[in-house]
Amino acid sequence: MIRKKILLLGDFSVGKTSLVKRFLDGTFDEKYLTTIGVRISKKIVTLNEVECEMIIWDIEGSTPRKKISLGYYRGASGAIFVGDVTRHETIDALVHHKEIFLSENPDSKFVVAYNKVDLLNSIAKDRIELEIENDSDIFLTSAKDDQNVEDLFIKLMDNMLK
Amino acid sequence: MKNIQIILNAILSKDRFEYILVDKKFKIYDFSLGVNKYFKKIVQNGEDVTEILPELVGSEKEIEEIFRNKTVTYELESVYKNDQYVNLSVEHYNEDILLILLHNITDKTVSQQKILQYSNESILLNSTLQKILDSQNALVFVTNNNEISYTNEQFLKYFGVKRVSDIKRNNLRIYTYLDNNLESYDALFERVNSKEEYILINKDTFILQATWIESKNKLFTLTKVTNLSNKIQIDTLTGVYKKAYFNTYVEHMIRKNEEGVLVVLDIDNFKLINDTYGHQTGDHVLKEFAMLIQENVWSDDVLARWGGDEFLLLLQHTSKEFALKKLENLRILVSEHTFNEVGHLTASFGVAWKEENDDLHSLLQRADRAVYEAKKSGKNCVKFKKK
Repeated sequence: MIRKKILLLGDFSVGKTSLVKRFLDGTFDEKYLTTIGVRISKKIVTLNEVECEMIIWDIEGSTPRKKISLGYYRGASGAIFVGDVTRHETIDALVHHKEIFLSENPDSKFVVAYNKVDLLNSIAKDRIELEIENDSDIFLTSAKDDQNVEDLFIKLMDNMLK
Repeated sequence: MKNIQIILNAILSKDRFEYILVDKKFKIYDFSLGVNKYFKKIVQNGEDVTEILPELVGSEKEIEEIFRNKTVTYELESVYKNDQYVNLSVEHYNEDILLILLHNITDKTVSQQKILQYSNESILLNSTLQKILDSQNALVFVTNNNEISYTNEQFLKYFGVKRVSDIKRNNLRIYTYLDNNLESYDALFERVNSKEEYILINKDTFILQATWIESKNKLFTLTKVTNLSNKIQIDTLTGVYKKAYFNTYVEHMIRKNEEGVLVVLDIDNFKLINDTYGHQTGDHVLKEFAMLIQENVWSDDVLARWGGDEFLLLLQHTSKEFALKKLENLRILVSEHTFNEVGHLTASFGVAWKEENDDLHSLLQRADRAVYEAKKSGKNCVKFKKK
């Protein structure tokens, strides 16, 4: 069976853990609990008749004072970069997260989650949808409302298997 | 081997470390019993170590190197395992065996997590507060040594700067917008404290307020009221400003010690128009007169209706000679214009130039006397009154 290490990267409190939780067991918790270090989970998915085990690294978010340990990046085949659509600075920071990740894993694949889309009004959501319509690797997600979470992980797996 | 076991036993006795030994095929060769607390299943010899430690997936080649090279290690910090936190370290044991040490750091990490949680929540709260502040009126926070230490985004936007340091670099002193004679924020505070002042910044009108913060720092608030102010201050009949707004402009000019000419304009024989054609036509004439003047003065000149058929005009940034020439041209323009319904009209102009120690009242009084003299001397002329 193919096994792939994937990372969830982004600033703190953008919803990385919630996306993992939603993907793994279909649940959501409103309470914000900061992740420290790394939590690793596994999920087997079948894509195009290929069975693959995703080793999902939910890594603590970077803060202005604390950057992510580069040790976590080693051997990753893919990454999900997560930003919070209600905090524009976390979306802007994704460029930085990508740069670091790809410098450590140049051949790796990635997708992007603009998370917490449930908090946007319809006008703001339409505007973002328009902005990203030509980029199939960016997903508007909501761990709370289960929007595009499965698609996000599957798209990454698809990218990694190509 | 024996030495390592002694060391391991010493470490293990503190219940801090557990170990797993794995062979070249990554199968578990041996382990300390305590490792089971980190996994949801019972660990067994011969099992693939990546089943219980998926942390090693992706780094297999790096780990294989450890068999060959004693100096290489593989380390991972703060890994969450079954409600515990461990530092994980893969080290050379011998050429066929690797030692995986699991160092329990739960107590320390949980404490750190509490601090991190508090810190992150504080950052989020701070970010929200910052967004609230930025969405408010322009705010300037001044310390007790008269230095601007904080401004919100609205303030920076109004003044066309990007950051607080630009204010100092551009020598931007807000107090001079209210009065050129003010020399510090302390002086501004004295002036504004417990009342509101209207100030003009570029073409916008602001209400300026000041508040003490912690009895030594000062917070100034600038509320943009241009649109509201304009709406309230417009004379509904003629579309020009009301006198109250005109007064603000004149006072601002006097405070900033700028040059300016105040003019009172009076339509000659206007009563006759009302009596002959009716008040409705009179209103049309007032409107047409105001429009004619407005279209022939500069955009920074201010035209207002004083009342009845009397208008006020403030000409700014002009010399006395040029102003008189301009007013003479306006007089001719009015006399040559054909007004709808009534035909030709004339107007008298009374002019006062801002002189030393002038205030609104004295300036207005002189211009009013000048228009009176213009009327007395046959109307349809421009009269200038010195102090």
